[in-house]
Amino acid sequence: MSPLAAIILWAVLLFVAWRWRPPQAASPSAWVLLIAFGALGAGALWFDFHPEPAGFAFWKPTVVYWTLAAIMLILPPLGGGYPAKIILGNYFALSNREWRWINRGFAFLCVLLGGVNLVTAAQASYKDWEGFKFSCMVFLLTIVLFRLNFVWLPILAEVSIHLYRRATAAYRFLSSLF
Amino acid sequence: MPSAERKPDHIVQLVWPGQRSELVTLGATGKSGGAGEIFSIEGKPEFVAKIYHASTSQAHLARYRHKIQWMLDHKPALPEVPAEYQDIVQLAWPDALILRRSRFVGFAMRKITFDRTLELDYLLNRRQSAQEGFDADYGKLLTVCFNLASLINCLHEKRIAIVDLKPMNVKVHKAELYVSILDCDGFHIDTEEFRHDAPQVTPEYLAPEFHDKAVTHPEAQDSFALAAIIFRLLNYGIHPFTGVASDHDKYPRELAGRIKQGLYPYGKVAHKTVRKVPASVHEAFPDSLRQLFDRAFASPGYSRPSAREWVEALSIYASKHSGQISPCEKGHLKFSGRPCPTCLREALIEGAEVRRRSFVVRMQAAPARTLKYMRRTLRQTHSSPFQAALAQAQLFTFRQLAPPAPISTRNAIALEILWISGLLIAFWWAG
Repeated sequence: MSPLAAIILWAVLLFVAWRWRPPQAASPSAWVLLIAFGALGAGALWFDFHPEPAGFAFWKPTVVYWTLAAIMLILPPLGGGYPAKIILGNYFALSNREWRWINRGFAFLCVLLGGVNLVTAAQASYKDWEGFKFSCMVFLLTIVLFRLNFVWLPILAEVSIHLYRRATAAYRFLSSLF
Repeated sequence: MPSAERKPDHIVQLVWPGQRSELVTLGATGKSGGAGEIFSIEGKPEFVAKIYHASTSQAHLARYRHKIQWMLDHKPALPEVPAEYQDIVQLAWPDALILRRSRFVGFAMRKITFDRTLELDYLLNRRQSAQEGFDADYGKLLTVCFNLASLINCLHEKRIAIVDLKPMNVKVHKAELYVSILDCDGFHIDTEEFRHDAPQVTPEYLAPEFHDKAVTHPEAQDSFALAAIIFRLLNYGIHPFTGVASDHDKYPRELAGRIKQGLYPYGKVAHKTVRKVPASVHEAFPDSLRQLFDRAFASPGYSRPSAREWVEALSIYASKHSGQISPCEKGHLKFSGRPCPTCLREALIEGAEVRRRSFVVRMQAAPARTLKYMRRTLRQTHSSPFQAALAQAQLFTFRQLAPPAPISTRNAIALEILWISGLLIAFWWAG
């Protein structure tokens, strides 16, 4: 897929998301995360079409981890809620205290990963740094699997049921014709 | 027919036994068969004429004349019928030769009144027979079977065989339950002074030993076809060689192939590879009949029950006074001491219908049930402890709540698009 086609597809998806947005007001942590990822996305797009500065590749993981850590550390004291709740999904009935600690745990992990990334980039070989970088992505994958199990599959089930109902109704209509 | 429309070809000479002859005029009926066409005879409404097709060769016509002449001289004694039913024609047997310009062209026979009769084929389907004004029950069907076997037995005693015996060639009198056999000029005759073969056969009613061969024992062939017709009459039209095979690839698609291989699944000893069709009620038949069926379909030709044996076996069931047929709780006639085949059939069909409806309802309710389950899992409101435990296990003991405010699937998809976009961005930066 060409970069242009990918951008068009992404824009269409964002348009759909805008059209189907929930009627409820978003929480401050959701807005901050949205803005932050919008900025990170814009940065990614910029560097896709422009040459990266020298050594920027080593900083990239740290940028995303520390950005997340900063959001998770700054927002709760300011009354913006717990961003970890947005990341994991707010379907789980945990107390605020539990969310606070999960949020702190996530923030600590992000700070740690961002810092170790810089240390590894500075002191280890390029190959070791790459190995570390990809192993850190397991953290993201864990979140993906978590969300897949508890959010995406129920949505997929609802959509499938909706389509199945439509198909059944269509079948009944067609069979009634004969 | 007005005399102005009469064609010279329609004026023929009827030659009755004893050489008495008369000129008559034929009228078209529009009925035609493989060998000839049927005409009405003006002034003789109780007779019809069968005129062989013009394409029939002279040699064939000569053989037909010889056969018809023999049949005129040797009319078989048929089963006796009460005096009030004397007009019933049990055999469409030739009564007179028909000559046109002194050349043999066909024969005259007694007319079978089609208004009073229906094809035996219709009795194989209860709904069809009801539409034709015949409300079939086991008492009537057994009487029809008995009358058919008696008629065939009379023919066999005269060394006459039908060979192409099939439901389409048999008419049943709706009220009197006597049967009439058509196409008598195609019968096999094998007497000391006269012999005539019957080459016409129907594979679905042809005994296994005569597939791909000439019918060398016509009485054995009739016995097979008679047993098949009786089986079908008593078993709601199910052919004795219709079954369900465990190995579809080796199971012949045509009935003829199954007959040839002896794949009879309704025996008292189950067949190894073929099962009965679920709708069959043969298990409600008495042992005496089941043994005859087994001998007819699962034994070599020489041990096949003859028409006489069928007459003897069926006579007690055809008689109202024998007590061998009695009503069931619902009033259907059944074999005494056996389950009611009609109730059995109704239960089988009703069971199949109930299962079908239940399946359709379950399929239609499946989406709603799944949706309900998913919602209960998400909101943790399962009423069943088992489902609650199952849902808890799936959620790794995390307690879940419904979203803070109800959101539609579309809203959820919108949020997930944003979430996945963020994730891709994170992967770009981290990777």
